[in-house]
Amino acid sequence: MSNIGRSMPRIDARAKVAGTEKYSVDYYSPNFLWAGVKRAGIPHAVIKGIEVESARKIPGVIDVLTYKDVRGSNRQGVVRKDQPVLADDRVRHCGDALALVIAEDKETINRALEQVVLDYDPLPAVFDPEDALKPDAPLVHEDNRSFFDIMEKLGLKPGSPFVQEDNPEKNLLLKGSLSTGDAKKAFNECNAVVKACFEVPFQEHAYLETEAGWAVLNKEGTLEIVCSTQTPFRDRTEVAEAIGIEQERIRIIAPYCGGAFGGKDGITVQSLLALAALRCPGRPVKMWWNREESFVSSAKRHRARLYYRLGAKPDGRFHALEARIYYDTGPYDHLGGVVMALGLEHSGGPYRIPNTDLKAWSVYTNNPVGGAFRGFGVVQATAAMEQMVDMLAVKLGISPLELRLCNTLKKGDKNPIGVTMTGSTGIEDCLRSLKNTPLWKDRENWKASAGQFKRRGTGIAAVMQGMGYGPVVPDIGNARIELTEDGKFRVYCGVVDMGQGNATTYAQIACEVLNQDISNMELVLPDTSRTLPSGSASASRTTYTFGNAVIGAAEILKERIVNRANELSPDGTGDDMALIPGGVRNVLTGEEISLAEIVVLLDDADRKVTFHFQAPVSNESPSQDPILRLHGVPHVVFSFGAHAACVELDELTGRIEVKKYIAVTDCGRIINPQLFEQQMHGGIAQGIGYALMEELVVEDGVINTRDLATYVIPGAMDIPDMDSVTVDSYEKTGPFGLKGAGEISCNGPLAAIANALADACGVRVFRLPMIPERVLAELHNNK
Amino acid sequence: MKISFILNGNDTCIDVAPDKRVIDVLREDLGLTGTKEACGSGECGACTVLSDGETRLSCLMVAAQLQGKNLVTIEGIGSENALHPIQEAFIEHGAVQCGFCTPGMVLSTLALLKTNPSPSREEIREGISGNLCRCTGYQKIVDAISAAAVRMGGQDK
Amino acid sequence: MRNVFIPETQKDLFDIIADKPEAFLFAGGTDLFVKLRSGLVDAADLVSLERINDLKGVEDNGDEVFIGACTTHSALLADSVIKKHFPVLVKSLMVLGSPQIRNMGTIGGNIITASPAGDALPPLYLLGAEVELKKKYSSRLVSIKDFIKGPGETDLAPGEVLTGVRLRKYPEYNLHHYEKVGQRNSLAISIVSFAAVLNINDAGIIARARFAWGSAGPTVITCEDAEDFLAGRPLSRESLEHAAYLARKAVTPIDDVRASAEYRRQVSGNLILRIEGLLNRSE
Repeated sequence: MSNIGRSMPRIDARAKVAGTEKYSVDYYSPNFLWAGVKRAGIPHAVIKGIEVESARKIPGVIDVLTYKDVRGSNRQGVVRKDQPVLADDRVRHCGDALALVIAEDKETINRALEQVVLDYDPLPAVFDPEDALKPDAPLVHEDNRSFFDIMEKLGLKPGSPFVQEDNPEKNLLLKGSLSTGDAKKAFNECNAVVKACFEVPFQEHAYLETEAGWAVLNKEGTLEIVCSTQTPFRDRTEVAEAIGIEQERIRIIAPYCGGAFGGKDGITVQSLLALAALRCPGRPVKMWWNREESFVSSAKRHRARLYYRLGAKPDGRFHALEARIYYDTGPYDHLGGVVMALGLEHSGGPYRIPNTDLKAWSVYTNNPVGGAFRGFGVVQATAAMEQMVDMLAVKLGISPLELRLCNTLKKGDKNPIGVTMTGSTGIEDCLRSLKNTPLWKDRENWKASAGQFKRRGTGIAAVMQGMGYGPVVPDIGNARIELTEDGKFRVYCGVVDMGQGNATTYAQIACEVLNQDISNMELVLPDTSRTLPSGSASASRTTYTFGNAVIGAAEILKERIVNRANELSPDGTGDDMALIPGGVRNVLTGEEISLAEIVVLLDDADRKVTFHFQAPVSNESPSQDPILRLHGVPHVVFSFGAHAACVELDELTGRIEVKKYIAVTDCGRIINPQLFEQQMHGGIAQGIGYALMEELVVEDGVINTRDLATYVIPGAMDIPDMDSVTVDSYEKTGPFGLKGAGEISCNGPLAAIANALADACGVRVFRLPMIPERVLAELHNNK
Repeated sequence: MKISFILNGNDTCIDVAPDKRVIDVLREDLGLTGTKEACGSGECGACTVLSDGETRLSCLMVAAQLQGKNLVTIEGIGSENALHPIQEAFIEHGAVQCGFCTPGMVLSTLALLKTNPSPSREEIREGISGNLCRCTGYQKIVDAISAAAVRMGGQDK
Repeated sequence: MRNVFIPETQKDLFDIIADKPEAFLFAGGTDLFVKLRSGLVDAADLVSLERINDLKGVEDNGDEVFIGACTTHSALLADSVIKKHFPVLVKSLMVLGSPQIRNMGTIGGNIITASPAGDALPPLYLLGAEVELKKKYSSRLVSIKDFIKGPGETDLAPGEVLTGVRLRKYPEYNLHHYEKVGQRNSLAISIVSFAAVLNINDAGIIARARFAWGSAGPTVITCEDAEDFLAGRPLSRESLEHAAYLARKAVTPIDDVRASAEYRRQVSGNLILRIEGLLNRSE
């Protein structure tokens, strides 16, 4: 029976359910030192001095380090390196790290942190992206050193188009502009136009395992770091440069993460641990951010303000779209440009729109850091666009599902940024499939069955998510597989499994190609000394890219094994040998040789294979802007989906409950249905939280909701049973036809729920989330 | 302070500060890292343990309270080679993703099924309402618990 | 390092208190340990009340019931006397915290914490709760509304311990209601909570109604105006709407990170309307 399409149980589940799997936080030893960080607590200031002497004197404190102790560049970041390991010139947000305390135990750390004092001159701060672009706005980064570094990297000279010598727009991390046709003219040709402004909030990842790890400088001079990260290889490069140590001396080991969702896509504890370990050679140092510190310091989903205008012809064909999207990226790049670019690329949704004028800005402020979070800019854009579509449907008097079907992309169409859909494009199938579901067909009954003080409605959203890194940054996977001396296949995973189960999928893919049972597979989790660089666990790429690499490696290894077996069989030909679980069989004679026997006959180079896969890229250029292109525009493989939510509104309190939810998805061929469903459910749940209850309340740069009591994520009684359905689809560039599934499910809930609310009572909340208070206020205004 | 209690069925004696949090005693002093900390303030349930058969939050307990108690952690529920039916069901039904909430979920499930051997899906959701999960959306956990209930002798509801 | 005392008798408890008057008492610890962690409280010594058995349990004394202060919410939810006579209290406990917090938290703790959002407090006000406060050689009984003075503030004197709660049975009430509005369906601090007990006769006339709100003021709010207005009136949308209007004038909510005062005010009134639908359902 084929492994593809089979719900093989996760290989990591046993140890996790028994409580024996060790996460980064689970390492302890009496020998461990602890490290802790003094955080700024103010949003913007000039640093005059950081007083650490009194802290240093506390018994049990080994040392207190500041920027003066950082030998390297003291700057980290994926695209722009603008974030200090330890703040040197300025404080730019409340979570900035000022000093690193190294001590014998946790209690001493806390006492020492209280003694560290910042001497500073406060600076006027900026907390809104549109304000931050104004000429009189305070500058978050006085020098634009990191911007010029990129220009240099791209070979751009000041004065070339898209690049100004002196960024006239203040506090700009990145801006992007994409257009097709002539939107300005086209709006005059529309019969129905709707316009709106949406404000979507910061969202906290709230992974249960907060940022943590430990590090030691061992006697060989290698700095070994074990940490909860999505990017061990990239981390290594960043740490090396920031701290000032050769990359080759750093080893990063990435156990399973207790959740990440993008929040561990980049440096969290790594450089700090490195600093501490270098200071105390031979002594392991551990750091574990408690929940409050995680809130204050970690990156968030970008808060955004989106201005949309959408116009159509009387038959419902979309004719013009204008979008202006402002992403609040906080003080550091932290992938904020890439987020903006992806959001911009998706701002028109999965539709044909012949005239578009789309602009986005990713703007520095003194708010918390905006960074990678599942969905990555697309969540925000979808939240807006999918509500616009429904608003237009109302104006036109056309059903929201029919309106979408009228405009939906097919393979070969040009999308709203003018790029051709060359890969599998199953959005129409998703919508048609949704149309046939009982949930959709039953929506009038649902509405009519509302009880006293309740209103019920159904809403839909069409979603899409581009996979990978875009046309410039190589999306690569390097898989290494070896046949071990025991006759087992060992797969060296280059990409982190942060809970999405890709480790299991790699094993499953290897089992399929090599015709093995899972019991004959071993996996090595990402470790920069043992596995190979294979990009980040992000961008919905991990199974697609690394899966393809695993297939490549497994095919080669299979061939070698079979050929070797063949050579041993005197009468056989190449076709007679086949891999079977645990061995090789001559299909003619039935003779079998075990893998343990055959491995002895293979030399080292034969039994180990490495395969390099690079994901295909688009060969279209919707824009001439090389910086936008660097940041990922355009992608080439997209997943699609159609979601529907049935909600119940309580008129007395404004509370919305999602009672039913369905997601119909095109992710190509599904390798492991259970894992796929896990991704759908989890993303929907995060989307429901984002829609209804998750609001990071930030006032003047200070997070007021900095624990799980005030920042509420959904519990078991807040998420309904969800249906996940797939459409028949095959992405020919994907492993066995697969496309990325990690992010897309997050994109649907907010708009689906908002549309359902409007269906229930005619009301929309433009400042999200739809907390009861806002809903109730709108209901009153509507009366 | 010397504290004697029963831990996962074994008589145990420890010598720790009386005000050390039980979660820290388990993880640091006893090497039992299966019990997790995700908030430290009683909001997430990751630190759930069974004390005299009742679920409690070990991040809000101090060592002195352990004296004479019968404490059960995830390590006492089953081992990788001999899993409890609840753990089997979690694996089978895809209820484990990142796995960080899982130990707490298993313990809450055990407590739930003891008092309510045939819970409805609604009752299951209520039973795990003190355990946050960020990965699964809860549905497969509910599926697993439903199945575990049947396996353990309850009726299919 | 703090000392943690765990007495097993009231006598031992009072001896410890005399010896260490600065020590912090805790029953479930769900409030104290959170405050210790956040630095809101700084304690040198801790005293656990959880092993003092005569501070636990439910005693049915005919017209009244006495609940030991250290009785956990779970124990109360499982108690047949509580379930039979105080459905409004049961409803509030069912939505308090989470299963684990209900196993640890106690009724005495909920009262002493005196949070404006304390879930059990509105029902306790409606049930005419009196708290028993003991010192080594004396004891007094104080009505809960006189005992709780403000957010986190009670009339507890130095050296005093809250040892129990006395509730009167009100067999005349035939409609018991509790609703909590939170940011999610469990593990939620209430944004507004509403408890109601009513006596409705066969003709649908309200003989008596009593209401109490949580998270709508510094302590539990009651509204005699609304109660007086409804007495003798039919249970109808119209009469409830006027009662709601009166209630909105009585509550004194604040803005905080969870909700605005205006929302709390509006909803405090709205929740009265919910009663209309209850008559058709079983309690």
